[in-house]
Amino acid sequence: MNIKLKSIVAAIAFAASCSAFAADPIKIGVSGPFTGGSSPMGVSMRDGARLATAEINAKGGVMGRKIELVERDDQAENGRGVQVAQELINKERVVATVGYINTGVSLASQRFYQEARIPVINNVSTGSLVTKQFLPPEFADNYIFRNAANDSIQSAMIVKQAIDVNKYTKVAILADSTNYGQLGRADLEKALAAKNITPVAVEKFNVKDVDMTAQLLKAKEAGAQAILTYAIGPELAQIANGMEKLGWKVPMIGSWTLSMGNFIDNAGKNGEGAHMPQTFIQEPNTPKRKAFIDAYLKAYNPANGRIPSPVSAAQGYDSMYILAAAIKQAGDTDGVKIRQALENLQDKVDGVVTNYDHPFTHDDHEAITMNMVVMGKVQDGHVVYANAADKANAVREKDMGKAKK
Amino acid sequence: MEILAQLIVSGIALGMIYALIAFGYQLTFATSGTLNFGQGEALMLGALVGLTLVGHMSYWLMIPLVLVFGALQGIFVERVGVQPAIKTKSEFGWIMTTISLAIIFKNVAENVWGHDDITFPSPLPTSPLQFMGIRVLPMEILVVVGALAIMLAVELFNRKSIYGKAVVATSNDRDAAGLMGINTGMVITFSYALSSMTAAFAGVLIAPLTLTGSTMGVVLGLKAFSVAIIGGLNSGMGVIVGGLILGIAETTTGYYVSTGYKDVPGLLLLLLVLAIKPSGIFGKSVIKKV
Repeated sequence: MNIKLKSIVAAIAFAASCSAFAADPIKIGVSGPFTGGSSPMGVSMRDGARLATAEINAKGGVMGRKIELVERDDQAENGRGVQVAQELINKERVVATVGYINTGVSLASQRFYQEARIPVINNVSTGSLVTKQFLPPEFADNYIFRNAANDSIQSAMIVKQAIDVNKYTKVAILADSTNYGQLGRADLEKALAAKNITPVAVEKFNVKDVDMTAQLLKAKEAGAQAILTYAIGPELAQIANGMEKLGWKVPMIGSWTLSMGNFIDNAGKNGEGAHMPQTFIQEPNTPKRKAFIDAYLKAYNPANGRIPSPVSAAQGYDSMYILAAAIKQAGDTDGVKIRQALENLQDKVDGVVTNYDHPFTHDDHEAITMNMVVMGKVQDGHVVYANAADKANAVREKDMGKAKK
Repeated sequence: MEILAQLIVSGIALGMIYALIAFGYQLTFATSGTLNFGQGEALMLGALVGLTLVGHMSYWLMIPLVLVFGALQGIFVERVGVQPAIKTKSEFGWIMTTISLAIIFKNVAENVWGHDDITFPSPLPTSPLQFMGIRVLPMEILVVVGALAIMLAVELFNRKSIYGKAVVATSNDRDAAGLMGINTGMVITFSYALSSMTAAFAGVLIAPLTLTGSTMGVVLGLKAFSVAIIGGLNSGMGVIVGGLILGIAETTTGYYVSTGYKDVPGLLLLLLVLAIKPSGIFGKSVIKKV
């Protein structure tokens, strides 16, 4: 053997021994829209997850192994989401996936994880159906979890704000024609019916519509005192700007997407005062939140010091910590064991949104309950607490009484 | 009554946007029998280039530059996509090339300007004017006036100038015009330049009303295409009337029937026109000589 060959053999042997020591990383999928109209949410979620992963890895990872994120852009399209799911499961062999911003993409893609017995933590998508696709008795175990405020919670809060707090009796609903908008509209109508109120107008529009005159005129003529919305940023901005054009200004109260940067920027002064439910508002009112906000701003330096979608960033960050805790408890990367650990998590997870103490059970896969969600409002281009009391009483733990129901 | 008037006014503004884009389809169809299916993307590029320029100069100064950019973009499309197809007498080659160029333009725009929708600063006050209870945005008036002005300018050019006459001659009979010494290839290139120029102009006109982004042209380009079919691909009057019909049908159906069905009357009309008078309401039916 000549010297060259010897050194190559030695190098290979050395490399092999090294890789035996440093165990393979744990692969976790991240699926979200990083391009298009939903991208402020997708990118914030991804950056939150990256931040958490970097912190976990800096402390030595999980079970002595580093976490590696496999990020894929689902473009907010259902078909693309399905492709991403299949790639992550079959090619990348992820042990779990976090993500999903769009309800439609969640509903279309999760089936593959359920069949492969790999847990999914939905950290942003809000459709009420998302965690209820695979329930017993048809499915023995459900692999779909969520740490976001679902639409039942959000619609109830929107209706509470409009009917109980502001004492309106006539409200109009404006929702877009996507799965998100129409499922949300149904939840809003249900929540209104519980208070014996029928909306005076229920209107629909398409994504990319440029003229909202007809929808707004109908609401105006019906005498609506407020507009309840279920849509995403750009179209919400068209609604706010359309009201200015018609010289008709009533409050906008809607789903959490009213906190999106592309609503706030494109609506400008017309978007001021819009109210929306939020799990997290970019205010450093606890040490944990201050550390999170500082770390995010330092790492990603967003324009105007504003996280594009603070809620998505916080929930993306928390979802990684919950998952890491579950993998640690399971002591294994098998999907079934991770699910069992998630459903009976012993360690408390100190998150940005709340302290997660047993966030899930076998029959309850929703980590966020109504008591954790606060009303935010748009003020001077930022989302702030609508009620000062919420700001002081920042961290609320899961409402078990409600969860057992 | 006031509501109907308000709906019609909004419909007119919307319809003129469609008409202006449809006018671009018509310009190239007249001279070469081909269409630029990237018309919506030409509009989007015009708006985004305008957005970049408007940071350095006033809105009004920016418009001529955007017009020049639009014309160059049209020449590029014609030279790269359409001319080879016409030369080889390919019946449908230009359909594929203009569509694929449109996709390329969209991807380039995504890489240059990003994926998000951006606000275009309005050159006019954003508070509405009021006429007898009807509210109109100053920008909407500018859209209608601007659209009519550029269509009128192009028509006048075609009728009065010697170059315009070459365009008209080529539209009437390309082979005969060629025999008369008109460089018809040049005229077709020119018509593409004009077509993309009007689209780019439409882009900067409507951008302050809508939002600016790489996907803004897709829906508009498609709707304008149905306007061009409804009005007739060889009638300038047709695209204006077709645009107004579609715009007003959308806003009034949205109010009186349901906002979920607002796109239906336009599509029904399209089917009806195709069934009864395929050359469009104002179109002249041409016998194709084989």
